[in-house]
Parts: sequence; C-alpha cells; structure tokens
Amino acid sequence: MNMAQARNGAMALTLLAALAACSNQGPDEGGTTPASVLARTVQQAISARTAEPAPAAAPKSAQERVAEALRVNPGPLIQVGFEGLGRTQILAMTGQNGAMRTYMTPAEEAVILRNGMLVGTKGLGRDLAVAEPGTEALIRAGQSGRGTRIMRYLGGDGLERPLQFDCTTGPGPNPGVITEDCAGHGVTFQNSYMVQGGQIPVSRQWVGPGLGYITVQTLRP
Amino acid sequence: MRRSRLTSQLMATTLPLAVLVGAGYAIADPMLARNMSSYGMPGGIDTPTAETLPEGTLGATISKSDYALRTNVVFQVLPQLTAALRYSRVEGISDFRDDGFIYDRSFDLRYQVVEQEGWRPAVSVGVQDFLGTGVYSGEYIVATRDITPRIRASAGLGWGTLAGKPRVIDATDEGGTANVENWFSGGAKPFASINMQVNDKLSVTAEYSNDVYRSSYRLRNGNLNTFQQGDKEPGNLNFGANYKFGRNYEVGAYVIGGETVGAQFTVALNPRESAYPSGLEKAPAPVRPRPARDADPEGWSGQWAQDPTAQPAIQKSLSDALAGEGQLLESMALSPTRAEVRIRNQRYVQQAQAIGRTARLMTRALPPSVETFVITSSADGVPASSVTLRRSDVERLENTEAGKIAAASALSDAPLRQGDLTMTEDLFPRFRWRVGPYLDLGLFDPEEPLRYEVGAEARASYEITPGLVLTGAIRQRAFGDKEQRGPGIPASENNGVRGDHYTAEEYLADPSLETTPEGVPRVRSDTRMYSGNTSPVIPELTLAWFARPTEQVYSRVTVGLLEQAYGGVSAEVLWKPANSPLAFGAEVNRVRKRDFDGLLDFRDYEVTTGHVSAYYEFSQGFTAQLDVGQYLAGDKGATVTLTREFENGWRVGAFATKTDLSAEEFGEGSFDKGITLSIPISWATGTPTRDRASTTIRSLSRDGGARLEVNDRLYDKVRDSQTVKLYQGWGSFWR
Repeated sequence: MNMAQARNGAMALTLLAALAACSNQGPDEGGTTPASVLARTVQQAISARTAEPAPAAAPKSAQERVAEALRVNPGPLIQVGFEGLGRTQILAMTGQNGAMRTYMTPAEEAVILRNGMLVGTKGLGRDLAVAEPGTEALIRAGQSGRGTRIMRYLGGDGLERPLQFDCTTGPGPNPGVITEDCAGHGVTFQNSYMVQGGQIPVSRQWVGPGLGYITVQTLRP
Repeated sequence: MRRSRLTSQLMATTLPLAVLVGAGYAIADPMLARNMSSYGMPGGIDTPTAETLPEGTLGATISKSDYALRTNVVFQVLPQLTAALRYSRVEGISDFRDDGFIYDRSFDLRYQVVEQEGWRPAVSVGVQDFLGTGVYSGEYIVATRDITPRIRASAGLGWGTLAGKPRVIDATDEGGTANVENWFSGGAKPFASINMQVNDKLSVTAEYSNDVYRSSYRLRNGNLNTFQQGDKEPGNLNFGANYKFGRNYEVGAYVIGGETVGAQFTVALNPRESAYPSGLEKAPAPVRPRPARDADPEGWSGQWAQDPTAQPAIQKSLSDALAGEGQLLESMALSPTRAEVRIRNQRYVQQAQAIGRTARLMTRALPPSVETFVITSSADGVPASSVTLRRSDVERLENTEAGKIAAASALSDAPLRQGDLTMTEDLFPRFRWRVGPYLDLGLFDPEEPLRYEVGAEARASYEITPGLVLTGAIRQRAFGDKEQRGPGIPASENNGVRGDHYTAEEYLADPSLETTPEGVPRVRSDTRMYSGNTSPVIPELTLAWFARPTEQVYSRVTVGLLEQAYGGVSAEVLWKPANSPLAFGAEVNRVRKRDFDGLLDFRDYEVTTGHVSAYYEFSQGFTAQLDVGQYLAGDKGATVTLTREFENGWRVGAFATKTDLSAEEFGEGSFDKGITLSIPISWATGTPTRDRASTTIRSLSRDGGARLEVNDRLYDKVRDSQTVKLYQGWGSFWR
C-alpha cells in the first residue's frame, strides 16, 4: 500500500467512524455489524489518541475509601480483593435471600456469599456459577475432615459444567483459622476461613481457574 | 416438557480443566493437530495425517509458495469429521482466460475411523478436491501414532494427486459433482510424515510426498494438455516448521522438494473457547424473597388487585426494570395469584438468560400473593413459547445448579387468548431509525477473490402494533470495486471464448440476453447488474405482518421490495409446537424482478416461487431442513440444508439444491451448493448483543435452484425460545 492509498484508507475509516453513531435505537436493537464494530474501534482509537490526559486526582488511601463507603452505605459492606484481577473493591449488599447475600461493586459485578462462604460471582467474565461445598458444616464447626466440593462454571457454549474436588479441612497456621485443601482435575487450591460463632468474617477463597483467589473481609456485617 | 431431551441438554459432563482455562491445543491431548498443512487441514506439509481439531473449531489457513496461493477454511464438524473449503490460485496453468494461473475451488472431507489407543494408531480416510475432477483430486488412508510424547509419525497410502498420478480433468465438464467411480483408483503410492514438538510453541515436520504438481486437461478437441504447476517438478522430501502464538494463531514456513519455499498463516477459533465465557454483562438483580405473611397481610391476601391503579403502576415499574435489561415488556396480565408477561429479548444470545432475569425482576415487582409466573417469549411480536415457574421455586433455587430450576419449570405453547393481557403504554407504535456505514463484501469470485463496497445506509422501521412492521432502507455507495457488469457471455455465443462478460450497456440494450441460450431466465447470474449504482438505492422496503392463527401455527405476509433483485408478495405458514423438534412450513411468493437502478421500477420477469419445508432439530445443535418446491427460474426441485449451531450461537451449515435443470442448463458447478457461516458479535466482544456476522459462500451465482431472500422467515425467528435452543442455553438462566 503506498502513501496515498494509506491516506485514503485512513480517511475512509475516519468517515465511517464519524458515521457510526447516529440512531434512536438502544444498544440492544441491532445495527451492530462487523463494519460498525470496526468503525467504533477506530473511533475509540482516534479519541484515545487525541484525548488530553485527565488531571490525576490524589489517590485515596485504602482507609479513606473504607471510611467513605461506610459513611455512604447504610447496609452491609465487604471488601474483596480479586487477586486474579489485581484490584481490591468495596461491595455493598444489594439483596438477601435467606442466608444468601448478593454484594455488588459500583459497576454491578456481584459476589454472592452464604454466611461468608463463597456461592458464586456474576459479571466478571470467568465467573463461578455456583459452588456446592460439601465441607461447609465441617468448616463452620471448625472440625477436621473430608468432603467433596463441586464448583460449576458457565462455559463459552452456554453450558454449566461442574468440576468436582476432594477436600480436607483442618486447623490453619493461626488460631481461629480453618483451612480447606482441595484437589482435582490437575489443580490444587487452599481456602482459609476465620470462623467466629459459625460466621466467616474474613476468608481467602478460590473462585476458579479464570479468576484465582479472592480475599473477603467483612466491613459491616 | 420432554424430560429426556432436557436431561441430555443439561447433563453435566465433567471436562478437563483445560477447557475452562482455555489452554488451546494442549499437547497432552494425543491426537489434536499440531499444525496445519498447506492445504489447511491437520497434516504435515502437503500430506495428510489422521489428526483432528477440537470439535467445532473453525480455522483459516493462507498458504503461499511458487506452486499456489491457497486460502483454506476448515471446520471440525464432528469429533471425527473434518471439512475444508479451499480457494486456490494455482500457478503455471492456463485455461481459456490464458492468465498463466487459474483460480480453483476445492472441497475436502476427512473421517477419523479409529482413535489412537494402546498400540493402535489413529486411522483416517479422506477425499481431497472431490467435487468434480480438480487440480488437487486425490484420496488417502492414513495412520498416525505418537512415538514419544514429542514425536508423532504418520504413514499412509494416497491415490490421484497424492500418488503423483493426477486425474485427467475434462475441460468440457461442468464440474461440481462427485466422481465416485474414480475414487481410490489409478494406483496408490505411500506417503509419510514425522513431526517433532520442540516446545509448546514450535514444531518441526519432515515428510515424504509423491505429489508432482502436474495437471492434465482433456480439451474439447480430444487433445491432452499437461501443465507443470509452478516452475518445476519437486522432489519427494519436504521440510517445515510451525510456530504458535496467542491463543489462536500459527505461522509456518516450509520447503517443498528442497527448492521451493513457502509460508503460511493460520487462525483457528474454537467456539467453546471464549475470552469471557460467562460474559461481561452486569450481574442480574438478586431475587427478592417475599416478606412474612403477617408483615404484609394485604399483599398476601390479593386485596391489592381490587385497586384499579395497582396493575398500571406495577406494569410501569416492571417495564422500566426490564428495559434496563434490554427486554421490552410488550404486555402483561395480572391476577391475584398469577402474572403473565410477554417479553421481547433484545440483548441476550441465550433466551434462558432473558427469562431468568425476567423472573428475578418479577420477584421484585409483584405483590406476594402472585405465585405463578408465566414468562412468554415474544419473537419480535409473535409469542413463541411460555415458561411457567412457581415463585417459591425461584426464591428457593436462586443461584443453584441451573438444572434444578429447569426441572421445576414447564415449557408450553404460548396461550392464544389475548383477553386479560394489557399492552404496555407508550410502547407502540414504535419508530426506530439508524444511519451508519455499511460494508458489503463479495468473496470467492473466480476472477476477483475479494470485492467490496462501502457506503452509508439509513434504515428505519415502524412497528404499528406487535407483529406489524414497516421496514425500509436506503443506501448510498461511497467507494468500492463492485462495479456494474453484465453476466458472462456463453462460449457458444462468443466464438467458443469463455470468460468475457457483457457490459452493462450491452446487457441493458438487448432484453433477449436476460434468458440464457439454454432457455433459463437469468434470475441470479446477472446479480452484478445491481452493483455499482452511484446514486442511492433501496435495498428493501417492506410491510410485514406476523401472526399466530393457532397455538402452534405461525404466519407471515410480507409485501414490497423484498430484496435487492425482487419485489412482490411473500406468504408463509409454519407449524412449530414449542416442545417439538419437528416443524413443517409452506411458503409461496409472487415476485417480479426489480430494475437494476435499485429503486422502485420493475423489469418484465415475473414468477411464482414457493416451497414446502420440513425441519428437524437433532441433538448437539444439528438442524436439518428439506425444502421442496419451485425456484426463482421456475425450476422445480429440492434443497437439503444441514446446519450445526453451537450453544454459544456459532452456526455453520451446508446446503445443496438440485432441480429439474440439467447440468448443462445450470452451467458450471452443475447444481447449487454452498456453506453458511454465522457468528454472534457478542462472542467476539463479550458485550451482550443478539447481532450476528453472517455470510454465505456458494458456488457461482447461478440461475438454477435460486431462492428468494426474504427477511424474517419464521423458523429461525420462533425457535430461540423453544425446546431445543432454550434448553441448550439453559445454563445461563441465573446469569
């Protein structure tokens, strides 16, 4: 491609990009074609290049963020560290069904817990659809023992697939901590729970092969 | 509900972790291809192996050497069955165009008869370029076995090209049919290859091949014309190396016969491996359990139903909440104990996800006495199925294994009565418009492999009531290389010279040219006359009416400019019970050919075309369709279509049409056949949308077996929320 062709091509793409946005339709009502995806990508690339960098606000410290969240939200709050995603966020409870609580980030990604035990995640792309920990009673009672844990994942094909793990519970390195060592399908992982009166205020739990571990800390029960 | 189908759809198969992690082609999987051959199939360099690809893989390989430039599309149809479509520029051969090369299409199939097990190698049998006698025609039996974890060896017997004995091509043949009598004949020779996996990215291959890269043509006058492809005949030993990068890519370089160098590039997509398998859409609203009875005695008693303002207020809030989920609440019926909602899913690929999210929102919007939820899926205004759930099951089973709520629900035909359904206010009439770019691609034309046109398009629809829609579009071309041109001049009319085309002016000036010398009206072979208009064109302008005369029968009537080349009336009925994998349909159209300026005028050709159809949805996403009837040129015959749709919406299909036109009347290709591909945009971007990228690759645009391309045929419209597809995607219910 010579320079003139390249310039023409770039102009055509810019023209397409400029055209991409006129409609009274919502994003769900069609009109997403390969051409419009291309145009939108070009548009984003152009605007990313021309955009001025936003003035950086002074980053808040972890304590400041926790204090602000506690002030703004009246309801239950947890802080979750997504180790696989490299971020820590504060999640507010958005619903409760029996003992099962749904917590969400401001971007509406959800972590679902049952009395502190991980049940599932939603909106993170490689979610845990549902966990069925056969070891739950042992963990809450602080007992050593064996059990089966089934973790179900929604595949790219729309099917929910279970992975089954054999797990052993036992006392952890620190007093008050119970660990759960699981193995199966060529992976091993270790969940740690701080158990207080049947509740689990602090834990580190494995979500799945895509997301790795999360750490959960209760800010307001 | 058919429990057996449900169970089989939901039956949990425990897969290796690699499937969920997305490790791609794992070395540990014994017989998955290590690299692609220059023919775009699992193999060595020029020779085949008994390897396969992960089921459902769709790949493309471009391979270039002095012998040929091959563009190959490969699809692993079944775990054992591999198919490839190839479009090659073969160097050194001259046909009537006398270019020093030819463009050639070919099609391969390979079946793995047995897998590798214990001492036994995997064994496959295959046919290469088997539709008609072609440049690459040959057959083989090949065995492949892992010698060590790193070294894999293959050996086989080849016929035809693979034995260095290319079949003689009959230059007068129209091609396109399988010459079964030639298969595995003419003497076999052995071939072999050995592959070493250096590390997880790099593998090297050496092979022994008998291909002499020669082609022979039997001319009209009986003479035999033999060409050497490329510059010279290669030796027998070929060497290559392939390197994988990213999740989907592979580059390779090879040497054929010690002298000719080649390079290739492969991209392979597996529908089961998505970057974000569970999607990036926001989490659904949590189920809200009902308060205790004594906390809300009025709500539990059903007294609220006496209040005439109750339903409008509830409907408004539910409609708003559903709108946030990309669903339209078309109408709703509410009684103290039962609620029916009619929803139109505009966002989620899986209808089960739309239904699950609607059920969650119903628990948040409806008073406690409502125990029965009926969620009716509307396919653009046509109610196609109802899922009935008990609210207590929704509360009890939230975020559990999806199979549990499936077992507690019932799928039925949508109720016919409209009586107590109240339309949501301010929804209809509904006007929608969009102005944007369009890109029109033409692929695999024998003379120009890629043609394109880019421009601006305005499109609008006006839905007067659900199911009655006025749709129109107007396009203005900006640039492109799709120019207006007449059809090819038959050799008999052109002193035996093939390959010339009428100019647009010549074609317009002589109306008799709109019929071929064999007497077949040109219904598709002059499609290019509709291209290249520099003034605005109207691709479609229709009024469509969708209805459901009985619970299991759907109907459609479309009038107007139905497609680029035809306008008129199209009417269709379809019998498709919500719980049946079997459906029957009938369609009849009275159409007239549109003028080439793409506006409101018509030409003289007018025809009645129509079909009766039978459809069946097999397990694993296979759909078979048989259409019997009269085609656009007035020819009568049948079309068989087999489509595989993966759970995530990928669709790959093949079709063939044979009508009462003879192969000579039909022309090159002998009968109409092709391949359809459709990939949901959401699969690639992770954001939920029901839009798709679709294309049909067919043998030449010919006049036999041509069908009207009317929009919104009923079958694909109503099927999303019916038994097979609904339960296939049921894993998304709580997502």
